[in-house]
Amino acid sequence: DSTTLESSGLQEEQSRLKTRLQELQQLKRERIDAPRDKIPFPVPEVPVVFQGLTKQSGQAPKSLVSNLKICCPLPGGSALITFDDPKVVERLLQQKEHKVDIEDCRLRVQIQPLELPMVTNIQVSSQPDSHRVLVSGFPTGLRLSEEELLDKLEIFFGKAKNGGGDVETREMLQGTVMLGFANEEVAQHLCQIGQFRVPLGRQQVLLRVSPYVSGEIQEAEIKFQQAPHSVLVTNIPDVLDVQELHDILEIHFQKPTRGGGEVEALAVVPVGQQGLAVFTSESS
Amino acid sequence: MFQGVMDNNVRQAYEECSPEKDIMRGEQSKGLLHEIMRENSKLDEEIKKLEAELQSNAREFQIKENVPERKLKFTSVERPEDGDHFSNSSCSFQVNSQILYEVQRGQALITFEKEEVAQNVISMGTHVVQMEGTSVKVSAHPVPLSTGVRFQVHVDISKMKINVTGIPDELSEEQTRDKLELSFYKSKNGGGEVESVDYDRKSRSAVITFVVAGVADKILKKKTYPLYMNQKWYNVTVSPFIERRLEKYQVFSAVSKKTVLLTGLDGIRVDEETGEDLLNIHFQRKNNGGGEVEVVKCSLDQSFIACFEEEARGTT
Repeated sequence: DSTTLESSGLQEEQSRLKTRLQELQQLKRERIDAPRDKIPFPVPEVPVVFQGLTKQSGQAPKSLVSNLKICCPLPGGSALITFDDPKVVERLLQQKEHKVDIEDCRLRVQIQPLELPMVTNIQVSSQPDSHRVLVSGFPTGLRLSEEELLDKLEIFFGKAKNGGGDVETREMLQGTVMLGFANEEVAQHLCQIGQFRVPLGRQQVLLRVSPYVSGEIQEAEIKFQQAPHSVLVTNIPDVLDVQELHDILEIHFQKPTRGGGEVEALAVVPVGQQGLAVFTSESS
Repeated sequence: MFQGVMDNNVRQAYEECSPEKDIMRGEQSKGLLHEIMRENSKLDEEIKKLEAELQSNAREFQIKENVPERKLKFTSVERPEDGDHFSNSSCSFQVNSQILYEVQRGQALITFEKEEVAQNVISMGTHVVQMEGTSVKVSAHPVPLSTGVRFQVHVDISKMKINVTGIPDELSEEQTRDKLELSFYKSKNGGGEVESVDYDRKSRSAVITFVVAGVADKILKKKTYPLYMNQKWYNVTVSPFIERRLEKYQVFSAVSKKTVLLTGLDGIRVDEETGEDLLNIHFQRKNNGGGEVEVVKCSLDQSFIACFEEEARGTT
């Protein structure tokens, strides 16, 4: 009979476990049925509007990339030359060494390609940050500078009486502000409260506080692409001033007989100095 | 005497049967218990697995983006005062999600000048629109839009450091570090003066930092580099030292307050332009709960993708 009691206890547990499993399976189905792009934590709303721009189905990229900027350090004793025609670059690179005539002597310089790093693929994951919150709901026409706004928010949310605590980081984002707290309990507490009437200048503004969702790069594929219109000239000795050197190099590399072509831009980095070549996207 | 024999037989039979039955009953019970316990254990395991899966799904949201190739143009040569800029090549860009909605056949999008009008049209639910002699029942809904994300990507590729992997672990940690420094010092192999070696025995990898720029570039022209230890040569793998980060990361919920999704236009027999005009006429009338209309787009033949744009709304 102790056996009977044990059996019925186990059967009760089995029933409870089966119910729980069904609940979880239902929850999983709901998650799957939810829109694929729907993010599973609270985030601020951004108003958008349809203004007539359409694309054929299957032809719209999910994201737009802009403000591409690539920087490449240039050593001292070098020059970066940019040509109109990329064929000139190909021609010059076939000949690693070049002789540039100056009045009494000859410079022996080297030509090499400039390799630029390109990110071709990126995978990012989002996760709520336990120490940080996002403040949103700012009205239009708020006449405060960025610094003024950040100061006022830090003052308000730094006060224990408002449920706040020591602010460690603050950052203006587009239409929102991120605040990082020393104590994660403070951040969580503020998110639970959710809404605050905050004095900003002459008005009391109702602001929302939600968890800050931070991003982390999971994968980033990087490839090196040769700058198509530019070459790097190296091993330029310290024999002339920059302007003279600039002129001599431009004259030399302008000549088709020297393998050159029309020079679009030329920048000299003298010995003992350094330069940073900046490239941007043609379309932007 | 016969009666006595019968009694003995009956008693004997009884004695033989009882223990056996008791034993059988006990064994059956134990078997049943074990079966229930096994089943419960299996259920518990499955529950734990599902809970972990739902937990991890809830905490992460993945974005995968192909960065389209684009033509680069030379802009300028800068001379920033910050010396760190010269230690790295860098690539940075901004990523903004596009807020898209695929308008299915039989649907339309209509944008009103005012939010209140749009919300009113939605709250009315059903609208009867006259279309070339036919009464068409149209339903108005908020547009279901996806979550958006925007961020800046910053990637720095060091001109002074390289990653080294596949380092043999035959020697002590200190000896291995010394061997690495000596090998990467060799100018005949393209090496140069080493500033530091960060060696991790566990992952059999290291980060080598050179004193001057240019050495790393030379070494990285090849995929491997010769490491000499214990009178043997080993080819270790070299790769660029890359640091990457995201800035200004924001996730948001795209909400359309002026644009309404209209459904129920399946099977109507007008061309798209006429349909758009008739919807415009209907929904611009106050009597129909409408107001000033800015845009109407119908999908009567093929579905298309509508691109939503952020409304200009400054913070300061």
